[in-house]
Amino acid sequence: MLFGAILRRLLLSGLTMLLLSCFVFLATEVLPGDALDMTLTADELSAMPPEALEQKRRELGLDRPAVERLGIFLGDMARLDFGTTVITGAPVADIVWYPFRNSLALAGATLAIALPLALVLGIAAAVWRGRAADGAVSTAAIVGYSIPEFVIGTVLVMLFSVAWPIFPATVTANTRAPLSELLAAAPLAVATVVIGSVAYLTRILRAGMIETLASDAMERLRLAGIPKARIVLVHALPAAILPALTAAALYAAALVSGIVVVELLFAYPGIGQEMVRAVTMRETPVIQAIAILAAAVVVAANLAADLSMLALDPRRRG
Amino acid sequence: MTNETLLRLGRRPAAVTALTVVALHLGAAVFAPLLSPADPYAMIGFPLMPPDGTNLLGTDELGRDFLTRLLHGGRTALLVAFASGALAVGGGGLAGLAAARYGGWVDDAICRLVDMQLALPSILFVSLFVAGFGQSLPMLVLVVALLMSMGVVRTARAQGLGLMEQGFVKAAILRGETGFSIILREMLPNAAELLAVELALRSSSALLLVSALSFLSLGISAPTPDWGLMIRDGLTSMRTEPWLVAAPAAMISSLVIAINVATEGVAEALGLEAARGGA
Repeated sequence: MLFGAILRRLLLSGLTMLLLSCFVFLATEVLPGDALDMTLTADELSAMPPEALEQKRRELGLDRPAVERLGIFLGDMARLDFGTTVITGAPVADIVWYPFRNSLALAGATLAIALPLALVLGIAAAVWRGRAADGAVSTAAIVGYSIPEFVIGTVLVMLFSVAWPIFPATVTANTRAPLSELLAAAPLAVATVVIGSVAYLTRILRAGMIETLASDAMERLRLAGIPKARIVLVHALPAAILPALTAAALYAAALVSGIVVVELLFAYPGIGQEMVRAVTMRETPVIQAIAILAAAVVVAANLAADLSMLALDPRRRG
Repeated sequence: MTNETLLRLGRRPAAVTALTVVALHLGAAVFAPLLSPADPYAMIGFPLMPPDGTNLLGTDELGRDFLTRLLHGGRTALLVAFASGALAVGGGGLAGLAAARYGGWVDDAICRLVDMQLALPSILFVSLFVAGFGQSLPMLVLVVALLMSMGVVRTARAQGLGLMEQGFVKAAILRGETGFSIILREMLPNAAELLAVELALRSSSALLLVSALSFLSLGISAPTPDWGLMIRDGLTSMRTEPWLVAAPAAMISSLVIAINVATEGVAEALGLEAARGGA
């Protein structure tokens, strides 16, 4: 049973990645015409003699039918072969690897700070539901969740690097710098993503905890005279953490989007910067690589949440 | 909305305040040409002039009246947010109810598409299209609507599955009503309140997403007045003219906070708990 459930989830994740890769291919290479239309501007296209254009198409393999190219694309992606850039011919993997690592580090640091904070705030708000403490936490959460990341970041810069200059406004560390050095150089960037994440996760954890505390099982414990603190920490917490895990995994996608914006604001050398550069330079292979890598991270996060649910909750193994 | 619901809403000061702020934003956007008669695209003075009697917020980096652009930015924001929100709720609502009504492979296909999209970060999703098609306002609205519709599909499907168990839907099926008529005449009216809440939530998410895209130069393009673009452009002179960043930042934040707080209040007054959270 357990083996089957694990296998089913692995297959579903694989299927999602396959569909996503097809979608990335469709959006970047088929719909807009072809890779050449994407790489060259309209002026450059019309200025090129037809024979040169034909030659270029053959070089890039664009004379082959779309289905065949999709097959080649999927094969390349499965082997993590992202090809070379159109303009300089440099390997895409080399360009994308360090920014990808840096963004993962930013995401990891954010979650390491945000998850425990959100857990404490969410539980406190749920336990004291309707009281002043809940009001304060819930209001702060909805405000934090409603303000765009780049506004939060800008306010932090105005406060802590303009009005009271104790932190740098931009990250000066090199793309290939050790992670400890890079994160130490980006305190405001980390703080910005943490604020948004805590606001989001607190709302979900509060809702989960309220639902758990209202269940019959918890009511029975209360009637049995077990102290409230023990009910919350020993009985309700594990039950509330399970759905929170799924919610946190779903948050991975939103976290990546937030990180892209914050990287641009603070000049943090991650995939956000690389992505915007690739879009403006019309570097299709780089865009494809970033999209696939980011999607793989989100799919992996969801798979990890699903598998830990299986490990912790026997009811789901059916 | 019944009188009782309105009464319950009236007892929530935060929700009433938030609704007032949303109304003020709507008013400022609709009456922008009357409130500040300058042309938002015309250069009326030197760049970066400080605020004075005629230009209440001074001029921007191209010498255009900043207050006028700020007010017209509200028009852009509300228009894009509402257009993509409405498209998302229309399309996503129908797809979600259809998934619940038909089940089987229709349900499987729709759910798989939603799962797929939820795995791709929204900014990356949009930038794939910007890379492919270049920047244009109709495409932006369509792509953002497509993104926002995924969450609506989930909510509508859950509601639809609940409705399928109800007597009146079962009776309609037994009467031999066609599938589409059941969705439109039996299910949709009973999902209307939920979908209205979804419309507000998705519009505010769309607003956040589009402003972030504009900030990244992937959303609304210059010279259209847009708050995200204004913040991006104002960052270079943040030390000397901080209001060029602070004013659009305050506008966008107050609007999104007000929409979300008001929606939460309305949803609670209607007794809809399901509409909370959500990405």
